[in-house]
Amino acid sequence: MPKNMDEKLQYELTYRDAVDILRAVKESEFCDSLELEFGDMKLSLTRAGAGDDAMRPAIRVAPAAPAEAPHKTSAAAPAPGEPTTPSADDAYAKVMAPMLGTFFVSASPNAPPYVQPGDRVAVGDTVGLIEVMKLFTPVTAGVAGKVVRVLAENGSLVEHGQTLLLIDPT
Amino acid sequence: MPAIKRLFVANRGEIAVRIIRACKELDIETVIGVSEADRDSLGARMADRAICIGPARSSESYLRPDILVTAAKGTGCQAVHPGYGFLSERAVFQRKCVEMGLTFIGPSAEAIDAMGDKLSAIRLAREAGVPVVPGSAELKSETEVREAAAAIGYPCLLKASAGGGGRGMRIVRSDSELAAAFSGARAEAQAAFGDPTVYLEKFVERARHIEIQVIGDLHGNICHLFERDCSVQRRHQKLIEEAPSPVLPAATRARMAEAAVALARNVGYSSAGTVEFVYDAEEDRFYFLEMNTRIQVEHPVTEMITGIDLVQEQLRVAMGETLSFRQQDVGIRGHAIECRINAEDASADFMPSPGRVTTWSVPQHPDLRLDTHTYEGYLVPPYYDSMIGKLIASATDRSKAVELMLRALGDFHVEGIKTTIPLQSAVVGHPTFRNAGVTTRWLETEFLPSWNKTE
Repeated sequence: MPKNMDEKLQYELTYRDAVDILRAVKESEFCDSLELEFGDMKLSLTRAGAGDDAMRPAIRVAPAAPAEAPHKTSAAAPAPGEPTTPSADDAYAKVMAPMLGTFFVSASPNAPPYVQPGDRVAVGDTVGLIEVMKLFTPVTAGVAGKVVRVLAENGSLVEHGQTLLLIDPT
Repeated sequence: MPAIKRLFVANRGEIAVRIIRACKELDIETVIGVSEADRDSLGARMADRAICIGPARSSESYLRPDILVTAAKGTGCQAVHPGYGFLSERAVFQRKCVEMGLTFIGPSAEAIDAMGDKLSAIRLAREAGVPVVPGSAELKSETEVREAAAAIGYPCLLKASAGGGGRGMRIVRSDSELAAAFSGARAEAQAAFGDPTVYLEKFVERARHIEIQVIGDLHGNICHLFERDCSVQRRHQKLIEEAPSPVLPAATRARMAEAAVALARNVGYSSAGTVEFVYDAEEDRFYFLEMNTRIQVEHPVTEMITGIDLVQEQLRVAMGETLSFRQQDVGIRGHAIECRINAEDASADFMPSPGRVTTWSVPQHPDLRLDTHTYEGYLVPPYYDSMIGKLIASATDRSKAVELMLRALGDFHVEGIKTTIPLQSAVVGHPTFRNAGVTTRWLETEFLPSWNKTE
C-alpha cells in the first residue's frame, strides 16, 4: 500500500466515524466534552445536561447494539433510534425483543393486553410474548416505571433487539 | 412448484453474498438473517432486507432452525437457502422449512439423512456399486477395534460416525497406538457431535482428495460436472482446490463420475451435491469417502471450467425447472484454481486473526474471480470461521492458471489483519504443487515444517 494513501485515509472522517465518536462520548461515564482536531477537520462536542447522568446506567436495560441496525431493517417496525439524534424518548427505558419472533401484547387474542400506556410495571413483569414456532417466551420489564408507549404492533414479526415498548422509570 | 419471488438467506459471509448475487440475476428478492455481529456485513447491505436473528454466538442465531424459519415466513419469503456449514446439512432444518411451506434450496430430508450418517452413506455407496474404503461397522469396544484393525491392516483411520471436518479422526499405525486413539476419537466425537460412535477404515498413505460435483432436478435428471482436486489440506480442512484434477486419468475420471451419479440417483438426489473420494494415485484406485448434500465452498472452480452457475441452477431446480443442460453439453474448458483466504496467521500455527481490515486492495484481471464479503473497513468478527474470501484464477491450462494465481496473490494487499495470502503464495509456487505431487498430508508433514523455518 502506498504511503500517501495511508495518510489520506487517516484524514478522512466519515459519517460512521463521527457516529462512533459520538457514541463513545455518550457511553463514557467521565467524558463531558471533547475537542478533536486533525488535518482540516475539527470536531467539538459537549454533552447536554452533563452531571445528571447518574440515571443512565440504570435505564440501559439491554445492549445498545440495535442502534447500528442496517437502514433497510424491518419496514413494519420503527427504525431503532439513531444515537446522534437524542430526543425525549432517550430518557425512557427500552424493552427490547430478547429474540426474533412474533410479538403479542396479550396471552390470547381475547385476553386484555399485559400492559397499556399509563400502566405501572415492576421489574420482571410480563409486558408481552414472543412466539417462535408455537413456543411462547415472555418479554419482561427490566426496570420499574410507567409504560409510555408500545411500539411494536401486536402479531408482527420483531427482530432480535428491536425496541418493543418504552418505560418511564422516573 | 411455486415460483420463488423472495428468498431467505440463512447464512453469512461470502456464501451469503454469492447467494444474493445469484438471486439478483434471477430477479428474486432477498432477505438475510444476520446476527448482531453481522448487521454491518456486505450481505446485509446487498440484500433487499436484513433482519437480526439473534446474538453473535451462532448457537443462538445461525444454528436456530425455529428462529430462521420464523424469520423467513414472517418476512414473506417462499424459499430458504442454507449455504454451507451451519444448518445446511441438517435434515431437521429442511423439515421445518417444508412444514412452514418454505422451499428448502437443497435435497430432500431423506437424502440428507441418508448421506449425513457416514455408515449409512457407506452402505448406500456399496449398494450403488461405488468402491468404498475397506472398513468396519460401528465399534463399541477396544477388542472390536483390535479385531477390525487386524482384518483391515495398518495403517488405518478411526473416524466418527456422525463426523465431518476431521474431528474425531485418528490415524493408527500399529497395535500399540490403538487404545489411545480409540478413547481419543470417541471423546472428540462425543464433544463435537454428541455421539461417540466410531468406525475403522483403511488409510491410504499417499492419498489425493478428489470429489465429483453432481446436480439433480425434481424430475429425476442427474448430471455430473466433473471433479475438483482438493488435496492441499491442513487438518482435513481444504486450502486450495482446483478443477480438473491434474492427476486423474480420463478413464478413471469417467468411472468416478459414473459412480457419483449412480449413488446420487440411488437416493433420489436433487439440487447440488458432492461425492468425495480418496484417490490412490499410485494404484489408480478410488474409494468413496462421503457425500456432501449442499453447495460447497469450492464450487467456483467447477463453475469456471464448465460455465455453469451452480447456485442459479440450484434455485431453478428448486422452482421445478429441469436442469438447463444435458450431460453431453457439459465439458471441461481450461483449468481453475481456488485459494481460500483466511484471517489467520499461518506462521503462528494458523492463529485466527480477527479485526478491522484497514487495507483491502484486490488483484484484478479478466480471468480472476474473487468471492468475498470483505471490504476495506470491515471488522472480521471473532465468532465465526476465518475465511474472508476465495480467489479463483482460470486459464487455458494448469501452468498458466498457476502463474496467474501467483501474480494475483502477489497483488493482493490486506492490512489490519493477518491472512493466509503469504502461505498460499508459497504453496502455489512450490515445485511439488506445480508438479501436481501433493497428497492430503503433504502440507502438514512436508511443506509446513520447512516453510516455518524460513518464515
